Amino acid sequence: MALKKDKPETVMPRKPITKYFRKYWQLYAMMVLPILYFIIFKYIPMFGNILAFRRYRPGLGPFGTEWVGFHYFSRFMRDPAFWRAFRNTLILSFENLLINFPIPIIFAILLNEVRNLKFKKLVQTVSYMPRFISTVVVIAILKEILSPSSGLLNNFLTSVFNIEPIYFMNEPKYFRLLYIITDTWQFTGWTAIIYLAAITGINPDLYEAAKIDGATRLQQIWYVTIPSILPTIMVMLILNIGRMLSLGFEKVLLMFTPSNSSVSDIIDTLVYRTGLANQNYSYATAIGLFSGIIGLILVSTSNKVSKKLTGDGIY
Amino acid sequence: MKKKRSVGDVIFDIIIYIVMILTLMICLLPFIYMLAVSLSDSNSIINNKVIFIPKGFNFEAYKKIFTYPDFFKAYGNTVFYTFFGTLISLTLTTLFAYPLSKVHLRGQSIIMKFVIFTMFFSGGLIPNYLLVSSIGLTGTRLAMLIPFAINQFNLIVLINFFKTIPEEIEDAALIDGLGYFGILYRIVLPLSKAGLATIGLYTAVFFWNDWFNGLIYLKTNQFPVMLILRNIVNGTAMLGDAAGSADKATIALSIKSAVIITSTLPIIILYPFLQKYFVKGMTVGSVKG
Repeated sequence: MALKKDKPETVMPRKPITKYFRKYWQLYAMMVLPILYFIIFKYIPMFGNILAFRRYRPGLGPFGTEWVGFHYFSRFMRDPAFWRAFRNTLILSFENLLINFPIPIIFAILLNEVRNLKFKKLVQTVSYMPRFISTVVVIAILKEILSPSSGLLNNFLTSVFNIEPIYFMNEPKYFRLLYIITDTWQFTGWTAIIYLAAITGINPDLYEAAKIDGATRLQQIWYVTIPSILPTIMVMLILNIGRMLSLGFEKVLLMFTPSNSSVSDIIDTLVYRTGLANQNYSYATAIGLFSGIIGLILVSTSNKVSKKLTGDGIY
Repeated sequence: MKKKRSVGDVIFDIIIYIVMILTLMICLLPFIYMLAVSLSDSNSIINNKVIFIPKGFNFEAYKKIFTYPDFFKAYGNTVFYTFFGTLISLTLTTLFAYPLSKVHLRGQSIIMKFVIFTMFFSGGLIPNYLLVSSIGLTGTRLAMLIPFAINQFNLIVLINFFKTIPEEIEDAALIDGLGYFGILYRIVLPLSKAGLATIGLYTAVFFWNDWFNGLIYLKTNQFPVMLILRNIVNGTAMLGDAAGSADKATIALSIKSAVIITSTLPIIILYPFLQKYFVKGMTVGSVKG
């Protein structure tokens, strides 16, 4: 996922600005609308965050009416609902990382060992597909499969183990598990692309040498494949840690029920409820800004760490 | 040349093939289950006879959902958002990506920073919402299109794609007196079909799958199909006679499945033909510019 700007290869000789502009004005003209778009839809909302420090009055503009300083911040800092959401966000992110970080790596390594190229291609193609399915559909299917009255899983549990139907979607103890396995289902194949690309780049001579030394395929994986893709794994790990606060908000919102709220209320859903449902705009903006700033710090720190350790980052 | 394979090797292969076949099944079975439920009669569903093969095969659920005006309308809305959303997005993204692919252009690196910064820090939900409503987009279909006109990731994919086009081709055209708009339209775009297809598909999938923005910005008759599906699953919307009917749970079940299948069908059908473009974006985007 490394996006790097390249250095200009040749420095253009400095021409007088009018002549330069006469030559390139069309290129600048192209950018007018897109830049306006970025100003209006990205930068104005960014400055709109000052609402966190101002009181909002309906109909009097999106930036609030009077300064209140850190009033809303100190309010949410004393709010147990905020700390619950904060804790839930971190726990869910951490557990998700713990499980869904290694799985695509293992999948990519195993897929690489498939010798029948047509079959390999088929598995690859099918495994990417869930990435393009709407979260609404994923959760709708999940709810049907887990339905206590007619779902596959409960039917199976009742008929084979004689267990009473379980309300999976409502019970807090299943929420994180369900969040994580739907993520596994949706993103394993897709994330594996990066590792497969890294594996493809390994010098085949290394495998030849290992074979001559009598390494089994398991040993080849352990001593050649994994060390070779370790830099990629490190970069991905660091970047994922940087993104700890951004969970799949839409999915959590779709899975949210009042009975599982003790674990499913994350920062983003709290912002949504206090902001849009209860229209405490300033209060919700303050929470959103707080988590946005922590997110920014996490991402830039992790990027710095990544660059230092591996020479690779996202910007 | 071929050596005799050791026992360990054979076992290894068997394990790998089992894992891969399981992966295939896990990816596909949910859809097969939904398809089977949507094609079965309600009796078989009640008695839990349906697993992966439809029992009491019929198209009732499909016939029904297409007689519901809400669903039909929502499907049309989604097609509208997907078509125009993708069109607007491709146009603006191309207009931005082309100048930004010229690294020697004065101001290019500042504008790149201006763009990339927005990938790391943004307005957040509430400021965005208040902006969209204060410029009067709430309750209009434009609210689904304009705020999402440029996605920074797609922009970078396209910039990287344009960078691979050799500049010599353009130089010749410049000498012939073609301006940059002409070059973009007549030379660069025809060479970039694969790149445009890739980001066009990402964009189309985004608009097809979007429901949250519909929820916060739109009126009921403007809802996209995914939002209708979400409301059906939530129980906040019932389609037609499913409400109040005696065995509404099961009717709702086959209808729900039919809605799931119908709303995902375009993606499932088109996916196998277009998947190479999907993957291309992932790899082009990760190649350093």
